[in-house]
Amino acid sequence: MTDGIKRREFLKVLGVSGAGATMTGCGAGDVERLIPYVVAPEEITPGVATWYATTCGGCSAQCGMWVRTREGRAVKVEGNPDHPVSEGGLCSRGHATLQHLYNPDRFAGPMIREGTRLRQGTWDEAERLLAARIGTLGNVMFVGGHMGPTLSGLVDRFLSGVGGTRVAYDAVSDAPLREATRIAYGVDGLPTYDIGAAKLLLSFGNDFIDSGASPVAHNKGLAHMSAVDAEGHEKGRFVYLGARLSVTGLNADEWIPIRPGSEAAVALGMASAIAGPNATGPYANLLQAYNTESAAAAAGVSEESIRTLAERFVSEGPSLAMGPGVGAHHRNATAANLAVLILNDVAGNVGRTVTIGGGPTASASKFSDMTAAIGAMAAGRVGVAIVHGTNPAYSLPAASGFQAAFDEVPFKVSFASAMDETAAMADLILPDRHFLESWGDSMPKAGVMAIQQPVMQAVPHFDSKQAGDLLLAVSAHLGNDLGAATFYEYLRGAHQAQHTTAMGPFEETWRAALRTGAVSHAMAATTGASVLRAPDAALTFDVPAFDGDGDLTLMVYPSPRFGGGEFSNSPWMQELPDPVSKITWHSWLEMNPTTAEARGLREGDIVTVTSPHGAVDVPVWIYPGIREDAVALAMGGGHTDMGRWATGNGVNALDLLPATAEQPSGAFVTLATTVNVVSTGVRRRLATIDGSEGDQHDRPIAPAVALADLGHEEEEHADEGHGELMELQGFGGIKPVPAEGGAPSAFPLPGTDHGPYAVAHEGPRWAMAIDLDKCTGCSACVTACHAENNVPWVGEQQVIMGRDMNWVRIERYYEHIDATQAGDLDVRFLPMICQHCGNAPCEPVCPVFATYHTPEGVNAQVYNRCVGTRYCANNCPYKVRVFNWYRYTDENVPEPMNWQWNPDVTVRTNGVMEKCSFCMQRIRESENRAALEEGRDVRDGEIVPACQQSCPAEAIVFGNIRDPNSRVSEVVANERTYRVLDELINTQPAVNYLKKVTFHEVSGGHE
Amino acid sequence: MAVGTQERGALTHPDVHRLDDVNRDVLKVLATPGKGWWMLFGLAVAGVGLFLTAWGWQIYKGIGVSGLMSPVGWGVYITTFVFWVGIAHSGTLISAILFLFRAPWRQSIYRAAEAMTVFAVMTAGLFPLIHVGRLWHAYWLIPYPNSRFLWPNFKSPLVWDVFAVTTYFTVSAVFFYLGTVPDVAAARDRAVGLRKKFYTVISLGWQGTDQQWHHFGKAYVFLAALATPLVLSVHSVVSWDFAMSIVPGWHATIFAPYFVAGAIFSGVAMVITLTVPLRKIFGLEAYLTTKHYDAMAKLCLFTSMIVFYAYLSEFFLAWYSGEEIERSAFWNRLFGTYWWATWIMLVCNGFVPIMLWFKRVRHSIPALFVISIFVNIGMWFERYVIVVTSLHHEYMPFAWGIYRPSVTEMSILLGSFCWFGFWFLLFTRLIPPIAIQELKEVLPPPMRKKAKAHDGGEAHA
Repeated sequence: MTDGIKRREFLKVLGVSGAGATMTGCGAGDVERLIPYVVAPEEITPGVATWYATTCGGCSAQCGMWVRTREGRAVKVEGNPDHPVSEGGLCSRGHATLQHLYNPDRFAGPMIREGTRLRQGTWDEAERLLAARIGTLGNVMFVGGHMGPTLSGLVDRFLSGVGGTRVAYDAVSDAPLREATRIAYGVDGLPTYDIGAAKLLLSFGNDFIDSGASPVAHNKGLAHMSAVDAEGHEKGRFVYLGARLSVTGLNADEWIPIRPGSEAAVALGMASAIAGPNATGPYANLLQAYNTESAAAAAGVSEESIRTLAERFVSEGPSLAMGPGVGAHHRNATAANLAVLILNDVAGNVGRTVTIGGGPTASASKFSDMTAAIGAMAAGRVGVAIVHGTNPAYSLPAASGFQAAFDEVPFKVSFASAMDETAAMADLILPDRHFLESWGDSMPKAGVMAIQQPVMQAVPHFDSKQAGDLLLAVSAHLGNDLGAATFYEYLRGAHQAQHTTAMGPFEETWRAALRTGAVSHAMAATTGASVLRAPDAALTFDVPAFDGDGDLTLMVYPSPRFGGGEFSNSPWMQELPDPVSKITWHSWLEMNPTTAEARGLREGDIVTVTSPHGAVDVPVWIYPGIREDAVALAMGGGHTDMGRWATGNGVNALDLLPATAEQPSGAFVTLATTVNVVSTGVRRRLATIDGSEGDQHDRPIAPAVALADLGHEEEEHADEGHGELMELQGFGGIKPVPAEGGAPSAFPLPGTDHGPYAVAHEGPRWAMAIDLDKCTGCSACVTACHAENNVPWVGEQQVIMGRDMNWVRIERYYEHIDATQAGDLDVRFLPMICQHCGNAPCEPVCPVFATYHTPEGVNAQVYNRCVGTRYCANNCPYKVRVFNWYRYTDENVPEPMNWQWNPDVTVRTNGVMEKCSFCMQRIRESENRAALEEGRDVRDGEIVPACQQSCPAEAIVFGNIRDPNSRVSEVVANERTYRVLDELINTQPAVNYLKKVTFHEVSGGHE
Repeated sequence: MAVGTQERGALTHPDVHRLDDVNRDVLKVLATPGKGWWMLFGLAVAGVGLFLTAWGWQIYKGIGVSGLMSPVGWGVYITTFVFWVGIAHSGTLISAILFLFRAPWRQSIYRAAEAMTVFAVMTAGLFPLIHVGRLWHAYWLIPYPNSRFLWPNFKSPLVWDVFAVTTYFTVSAVFFYLGTVPDVAAARDRAVGLRKKFYTVISLGWQGTDQQWHHFGKAYVFLAALATPLVLSVHSVVSWDFAMSIVPGWHATIFAPYFVAGAIFSGVAMVITLTVPLRKIFGLEAYLTTKHYDAMAKLCLFTSMIVFYAYLSEFFLAWYSGEEIERSAFWNRLFGTYWWATWIMLVCNGFVPIMLWFKRVRHSIPALFVISIFVNIGMWFERYVIVVTSLHHEYMPFAWGIYRPSVTEMSILLGSFCWFGFWFLLFTRLIPPIAIQELKEVLPPPMRKKAKAHDGGEAHA
């Protein structure tokens, strides 16, 4: 219906990939041997997807990925359930890597600087140029972000061949935790946390599902820990200690809003209370110096809250405390992380919920190393600077002097595949391949080896070359033979060299790794020491000093959407409502309502934020989840040269920060300065999707139930009674349909009228259950849905107008949130999708049957039949229908981003209504495969909608609710089950929610 | 026709003594137009240009050039649609219902009112087309046989709308046309050239014979009887567009009578707004007297009270229902983002017409004109309040949003008045705007002693 993918192009691709399949037995052309996950390569059939397993290269967590390819194009990435780290989940950023693959701002080929402009050259020319410059200038410095172990080894060999140095640099890193672990236990590597095993989880400003070492795994752990109904599991409690609630913090059961920088004092005060006066060990003296009173004074919260927390930390064990993450890296961050490790130690958590060692072994990134490198560059000691996988010109504050120093380097080389601030300065750009086009490996944790394989031929618009191949070629030009012609051979050789006969034949292991995405080697995970050592570095555990004389402390945190800014050029990420603020596209300054009121600021007022290091103008967003003495800004905005979607959007929070390295870890300090906030007098509309400032107005939308009340729900419900409603029923008022607690036998509900096109039959009735006790609001499902269903992005102006196209809207309601004192926290997340009502208000009002009920209970939308009266959207009480106000799919999506489109889903055009379809294409695909291959009915659990597939928390279950043995039936038969607004307007939704469970009594009108 | 109206309807016009005075005064309107007419007509044509340009732009770019958004999927377009359908009501009311009830004061105004009806429906009918996302598929709402056996959804109030509006247009157009035939014949007898040819065709060979008058009278009564239920049904159906939904603020049983009363209210006000300048410009003071305006003002006052009662009962029932979401919707209507629109509605439709209780006001043409403008504004805002304030503040607080009409929408709104004005101005030039033959019925019959009573061989009786 739209001309987004032109029919001719489609046929061309079809023909090429078909020919590829017959000639080479491989749909991906010149890449080597690809082993698809489900179907052998000879069986690539047009119209049938081929899946490959690989490793996500989006961040250092290295989650496992399945990639769905159609006719030689990657169209969707999903979590790999067999991967030991991510176990099937995938975050929003993981999905957005697909937009990096098809990013129209990628370089068309190697770029060579001529004067002020860049010209496209050939690879041979570029390689010879680099080799020549290395030969003449010498002094090579390689600045690299996270990369797989084999590529990292190759870089080292390359550098040793040319006599260069190497600097590891990532915009965000866990260096303080790593350093604290080294100081405390003598182990170089991050500890691993078993969040799922904890009963009481403390986060000292650690936003472990936003960012950090492994957001997906930690998210899964958190959901498991806090789930009330996991088998043989008691609901765990999560306490957040920090000045600002991230999306991680919003999931806490209690919030102790401690002053920024007081984590160490609080952790030590607690540890001291636990250890008592007879503390032993190398830190006994330190503990003597702290107590709960000093902690309370430092944190600005009541002493009692800290003392009782300390008591519970032992009594409610197994417990787990996590030290400050990137958003709380202040000048004493290592000390704070060490204090938290000590707290874990005195509570006996080490070896139980905390394992020392065994985390990712990627090289540690330190800002202090970068400072040294900047010094070397500025001093002219660097002849050739090579930057790979990182963007220091953006992610370092101007105060660091990187740009000026980098400019001094005679020959600057960038491996950026698309323009960024660093590449813009480079003399030679060697566009690297996307990880979905290239070979690699990863070691996400000790003993696990995952292979990253290309899933498709490199996107033909861009003449790119894998960094490994390039280094081999340049080495060869320089006369150093590194033992392989291609990086594929090098990689395979490296793995073969490590292979021991105990693991079986190498070929089998290799193929298994390709097929499943990851293999666990027999090598035992190095569970290092668990006994504390005496510190070998001088540390201060006090609240650090902050720069400037402003009255507000500035918190700069990695964005859950953009990370440190790497994902800013993805329109999916730009348009994904921030999980906390629900704002899209632009930057905002988070400010407590009391603070704003005192200054006469309203939401949307543009303020000038001034620190001693810089100033930015940014609109205010009023947020009750931040202390009154702090304001917060996310990273990732304010790009100056990073492609069409990132450039000019928002502000760069780093402009306000000093170029300070934390001692002794050398980490970049994000929590460093105070600021002054002054109104500019200008106001703007925020591009938010939140229409009620987080207030659900006491409506039965996202209710919760207290843990103590579970099991007594029946009586309570009877009490409530709907007296007035029942009175009205005698006069024809609505009769709420008894759904027997969601029992499958209750479906289809009486009174259901499906209209003339849905003849009743004995088939399935598709339904969904969403457990709000598990949902963390991370928004991975939103992006997964965009990718699966060809949902377009609309741009900032359209979002401001209220025209965002999300099929999944994660509603965030504050029920209880108090930034002034320690106490219960109650914030509800509700993923709102089409409810597929049995009694759908949208269906009778459509004049042309564009929306109607299928016999399977799905509320279908026939795009081609839609005239665009928008009556259905008006009459939808859930407001889940979105409209194509313009040709978004055509005008917003440049070539080759449209290659990502799912060929199984219609690309909608101007003037058409759309909404969640329960991933109808996946239902049909599963049904067809079941029928064709084995002539059977589809099995329970075989159909997995995109949102469910992606959900790290496993909060979503889909299936046939008419089958009493299906998982969805089992989940729905729960006293917590409710359907949004159903008792009020009798819509009989097919989406069943399970109430969030709180520890405290639920206040307000809703149970 | 209209037997027996003479006693009750006999109006004394100081300047009109003879039947051919009527011909003279009314038909002179059709003579060469003055500067004023040309200026107004020029404005109207320019406005139609604006209307078509804005609409064309919207078709080219997409409905996104409007300010519509989620959750407010209907806005100025539907507001204006309902407004024009409402305007269309009083025409049929005045000509059909008042005819059947033998209300004598209708004779001077019904022609203009009927013309207004037809043109208002022509304007209203465009708005559903303007508002749909895919205009080129809008014909799918019409039931027509097709190879795929696809029919419209007869459960949908929008399909009822299609029937209601097209039926109303057909009947009111026929009724209007039929009533003009004897007058057009009178104009034909005086016209020359192209105009004569035009009138000859559309007067259907009217000669004014007894038999013709007999048939005309019968047909007129039948059509009046046919049109009468439509006055009530069309706006009831339009109101069901809202009442059949589950949107708080729309879902109310009171909607049909409430909308019908509102339609008559706005329609009568529009008749006043249109005839006051008409009377002035064409010197028809003798035919449109304070007696007529007094009667229309009373009708306005009466319907205003019904409408205001409906407002109050809506607010009362929202409170009395105890239903929080309903209460919230009406609280928001009064004090929420769009409070100003609600208060414009209440003041213009509820409070300003209170002045009509005073005879002095009812007999002051300028005062009536001003009040009628207030009512027109108030009735537009009534529909805006119903459409927009209900939608923007529905069940899901997280999805609440604020709608701001765009320049394109306001251009089309303005353009629709020009489109209407374009036809109305043409009407005043082409069709006698006051019913000659009915007016004559209320004049004293010609006396034989005046020798020239039957002079000129003119076709009128």
